[in-house]
Amino acid sequence: MLALSRRKGEALVINNNIEITVLEVKGEQIKLGISAPREVPVYRKEVYIQIQESNKEAMTEPTPELLKKIFE
Amino acid sequence: MVINTRIFGEVTIDDDKMLRFPGGIVGFPELVDFALIHDADQGEQGGIRWLQSVQEPNFAMPVIDPLVVKNDYNPVVDDNLLKAIDSVDNVLVLVTITVPSDLTKMSVNLKAPFVINVDGKKACQVILEEEYPVKYYIYDILKNNKAEKAGE
Repeated sequence: MLALSRRKGEALVINNNIEITVLEVKGEQIKLGISAPREVPVYRKEVYIQIQESNKEAMTEPTPELLKKIFE
Repeated sequence: MVINTRIFGEVTIDDDKMLRFPGGIVGFPELVDFALIHDADQGEQGGIRWLQSVQEPNFAMPVIDPLVVKNDYNPVVDDNLLKAIDSVDNVLVLVTITVPSDLTKMSVNLKAPFVINVDGKKACQVILEEEYPVKYYIYDILKNNKAEKAGE
């Protein structure tokens, strides 16, 4: 992993079209500003993983017959 | 178009039932083309539909109208999250159903609904900022729905 040090107000540019700025540093918490093209989604990772797991779970099994019965 | 599916075998899908997810769905950015399949007996209203990947036969998720299980579901979605689908004039919102072996633990994901631009055939899965549960348990709700229906 590439590690770069930044101060408040400084930024990173990724791939010519994504800019991440350090807006605020308060103890253990930092606030980041992200400018990215509209097709680039940005998620908090812990939430992203939760949703990914949920998507995977939704895919495992229930047969159409079973679901139909449940929702009849 | 004929697509291959694990659950339904080979299925012919009308072009107007195809959906494009420009950004993929959460965790699966490479899957962008889907078909929305519904049970011919039940029609399009109320019942379960399947979001079937065109590219990946194994990938199919059961989805329903969230209002069936939560009639006040009305999340606020940031416009920026919806730019990928071009227009929100005529949208359909669906949520995934997860059915574990213990049926009483079945749930829908209210935190990350699918938002579909019906006219433009474009869709995305958004993650809401609002506090909605990833697992909203629906077993009892469905039971009550059924009981109410039976009592009508």
